[in-house]
Amino acid sequence: MKLKQLVLSSLVLMSTSAWADPTYRLFVTNEKSNTVSVIDSRTNELETTLEIGDRPRGIGLSPDQETLYVAISEENAIAIVDVKTLKVLGKLPAGDDPETFDVHPNGNLYLSNEDDAKATVMNPKTGEIIEEIRVGLEPEGVAASPKGDVVLVTSESTNMVHVIDVEAHKVVANILVAARPRGLAFNSTGTLAYVSSEIGNEIAIIDMASHKIIKKVVVDVPKSKPMAIKLSPDNKTLYMTTGRAAKVVVMDAETLAIKSTIDVGKRVWGEEISRDGSRIYTANGVSNTVSVVDTALNKSIKEIEVGKAPWGLVLDD
Amino acid sequence: MRVIRAGLIVLLAAFSQIASANIIEVKLHYIGPTEGSVWQGVQQGLTEANIQGEFLGQVYSLHAETAAELAKTQDEITAILVAGDEQQVLAIANKPEFAHIPVFNLVSDSDVLRSACVANLLNISPSNKMKQDALAQWLAKNPDSKAHVQGWHESFKKFAASQLNSRFKKAHGVIMDDDAWSGWAAVKLLSDTVARLQSDDASAMLNYLRNDIAFDGQKGAGATFRNTGQLRQLVLLIENNKIVAEAPLRGVKGGLDSLGLKSCK
Repeated sequence: MKLKQLVLSSLVLMSTSAWADPTYRLFVTNEKSNTVSVIDSRTNELETTLEIGDRPRGIGLSPDQETLYVAISEENAIAIVDVKTLKVLGKLPAGDDPETFDVHPNGNLYLSNEDDAKATVMNPKTGEIIEEIRVGLEPEGVAASPKGDVVLVTSESTNMVHVIDVEAHKVVANILVAARPRGLAFNSTGTLAYVSSEIGNEIAIIDMASHKIIKKVVVDVPKSKPMAIKLSPDNKTLYMTTGRAAKVVVMDAETLAIKSTIDVGKRVWGEEISRDGSRIYTANGVSNTVSVVDTALNKSIKEIEVGKAPWGLVLDD
Repeated sequence: MRVIRAGLIVLLAAFSQIASANIIEVKLHYIGPTEGSVWQGVQQGLTEANIQGEFLGQVYSLHAETAAELAKTQDEITAILVAGDEQQVLAIANKPEFAHIPVFNLVSDSDVLRSACVANLLNISPSNKMKQDALAQWLAKNPDSKAHVQGWHESFKKFAASQLNSRFKKAHGVIMDDDAWSGWAAVKLLSDTVARLQSDDASAMLNYLRNDIAFDGQKGAGATFRNTGQLRQLVLLIENNKIVAEAPLRGVKGGLDSLGLKSCK
């Protein structure tokens, strides 16, 4: 069974990469300068900066990696950018105050509307709002499972992870976690989900079959405010950003034991990992930089200046 | 006696969201004004508690009543919220039959309510001494300042305060002031506790509130209670209706416990 899933997901991966030659561009939203920085990840140099719209935050790529989506919160819209030409193709209405989103394997966007206690499902090809799903207060993190059967949304002010059944467009389970849940990540088979809690300073592992927390730990790092989570491609290592602690925490993904901490810029929020797992990129909101981390060394090898208050990032690799 | 029926409406909605319908009905007892900012804060907390309850299986309602009515109630009481003065709060908290029940002091900044160290009394608003200490920390560095101390301010943005400010204003048409925050926070502390314990047993709740909670009051790190029953929290220095500093000020020893009475003797 496991083997079958593995084969299946590698087939999906292969076909994905066959669709588009990657540009190796790293895209970064700058919340306070209303821009997207474009970095060449092969040289770690800034390539260009795109004017995008008022208060860009969440960012993601279409499954074929040809289109970039950016949530522009103050314009209540999603900006559409061509990854190759870097042209801003248009903006789609996305409900009140879209903060962040994930791109479902079927291409739809699942957005959290922070001020409205709901998640919006949008088809970015047509602009159609397919569904609005009521969730708890201040929805934040969104993650579609690798197979696309469920989408998770965290509600920061009501301390829950909501499990949305994609076919039914319905919340089917609610999992109470530590205060102010933010980041979410699935393992590659979708059997486990990881959730970070900013105020609770905690990380938890959710078993997706039972929807129960099977492990949780308080993050023993001074000033830590857990934010974004990424897993290594082999599912063995977890990398979490920690806000004011200005570190990426490296954990064993099974035991949640801390293996290392990596110094990055100040108020580190958004995070991206390269497909091969060799690099981590972090958005450092107060330093106005992006840190490039070499995961073999567990060390930042470069800090790249970007716009004001970098928030999120995505890599086309 | 006035019964707030919002909970019942939410109850209907709840059935559509909850897979296993083991619903806990939580009735909160409230003594205080039924208009003005503390009342609006309590109502905001109730709305939000019911949003959480919709997903997790709780329905909250609030009974506003007088102290005399409360004394005669036949209910098994879960929690008592008091928006009154020092004497009123003490009279209720000290009743032997309420000894195991969490009693929330919402608005009084009386230092006596903290130094009395009443085991079931939880003080939400910053004490007078906390505000004095905050001002002293500020004036030590800014002797000419005319600033005063508040617990809450409409322009406070950090720690998701802006989101709370904006949804309160949207719901009530006025800014969230200190009393409104306290009313909101008390109900959210309670709903957090019920959700985590999956019970509204008063003794268990009191124990959880005093010892285990790390509350997201949307004004900083997870808030906990001192053994004086005071909720640890930052306060704001305000000058010309602008936030000029947060106390405890940076570099002051003792962090949040540099404000007010640190512990019972």
